[in-house]
Amino acid sequence: MSEAVFDVSGAIAVLNQSLEQIFPTMTIVGEVASFKVNQGKWVFFDLKDDDGSLGCFMSLYSLRTPIEDGMMIKIVARPKITNWGKFSLTVEQIQPVGEGSLKKAFELLRAKLAGEGLFAPERKRLLPELPSRIGVVSSTDAAGYKDFIKILGARFGGLKIEVYHTLVQGLDAPEQIMQGIEHFNEMARPPEVIALVRGGGSADDLAAFNDEPLVRKIAASRVPIVTGIGHEVDTTLSDLAADVRASTPSNAAEILLPDKRELMAGLDASLKHLIVKTENQLNAAERRVDDTLSSLLNRLNLAAEKTENQLKGLTTLLEQLNPERILRRGYALVYDANGQVVCEADVGDNLRIETNKMLIETEVKNVKSK
Amino acid sequence: MSKANKSIKELMDEFESVVAWFEADEIDVEKAITQYEKGAKLADEIKKQLSDAKNRIEVLNAKS
Repeated sequence: MSEAVFDVSGAIAVLNQSLEQIFPTMTIVGEVASFKVNQGKWVFFDLKDDDGSLGCFMSLYSLRTPIEDGMMIKIVARPKITNWGKFSLTVEQIQPVGEGSLKKAFELLRAKLAGEGLFAPERKRLLPELPSRIGVVSSTDAAGYKDFIKILGARFGGLKIEVYHTLVQGLDAPEQIMQGIEHFNEMARPPEVIALVRGGGSADDLAAFNDEPLVRKIAASRVPIVTGIGHEVDTTLSDLAADVRASTPSNAAEILLPDKRELMAGLDASLKHLIVKTENQLNAAERRVDDTLSSLLNRLNLAAEKTENQLKGLTTLLEQLNPERILRRGYALVYDANGQVVCEADVGDNLRIETNKMLIETEVKNVKSK
Repeated sequence: MSKANKSIKELMDEFESVVAWFEADEIDVEKAITQYEKGAKLADEIKKQLSDAKNRIEVLNAKS
């Protein structure tokens, strides 16, 4: 039995087939070194540990999380021997590993997207006051989802809630969540708001929400998005790109819907206010009538007083002009036979003189001009 | 139920417009009584619907 003989390309092809059979993909953890991007399209880096190093290659398009030298990452890659005989890993997925690397990747991507204005406050839209249809992207198995639905039900009823069930952690989660957002956006009649919710988890678990294409998808959604991811202390880039960030899934439900008990109490308060308002109106009208009446009365009083004063003045004047008063002061009135007051007379005329005390009949004895 | 076709939101909007009517500087007191009755009726209907209604949930699975 003689050993098979290959030509070079044949050997490479057979080796690649064998590799593919044993390891269609390999998941490898290591530290990034010599990271570089060629022609704005291709990404090259080495994955190394203390004893070894492997060359990695991928398209910039499939690099969903920024990496740099020194960062610990987990890759899913297809091993391959190139036509030049070099061993290479074609990377399909990358995930930062460990707190330091996750944080580093987070900061790098945050700075990049913030620079593009993706998180700018002026991009944020208001959520509908009272949505009647809500689209939910979450895993129906997750505790966070159950809390969310429970609180929605406790706060308000009669709504249509459409749920797009996805993975919410792991390398495949971002793609599925993006499908969910797209699904709601592409509906002929989209829901009024999308809620993206997931309960608490490790930084690794929540890393799915720091995926660059997902963050961009959230920012680009035509339907407003509220996120409730993890616990209060967790902030993901998805939160930053959303229109409203709730601290938890339960908080997202509270933000989305008013509490029906508060609402009912509000209705009663409003009705009470209407009564008060009407009473105020009546009181004001009553006051206006009272005010008008009393001002009329005032004016009448003033007019009466004025007339009385005038009358008093006239009476005084009249009294002063009264001839009796003049007679009292010692003057006398002289009348002729016809009772007319006279200023002139002839000798022999009979005159009558009136004094304060007496009426005197007399005859003129002598006249002379003054 | 005669108002079965009206959603809570529509009822709320109607209620709001009744409340807004009272916000005018001067209100016709006689009309206020009918407006108030309308508001009270709407409030009752809203409360009834709020107490009875359940949310409808539909689940769709992601393509993996």
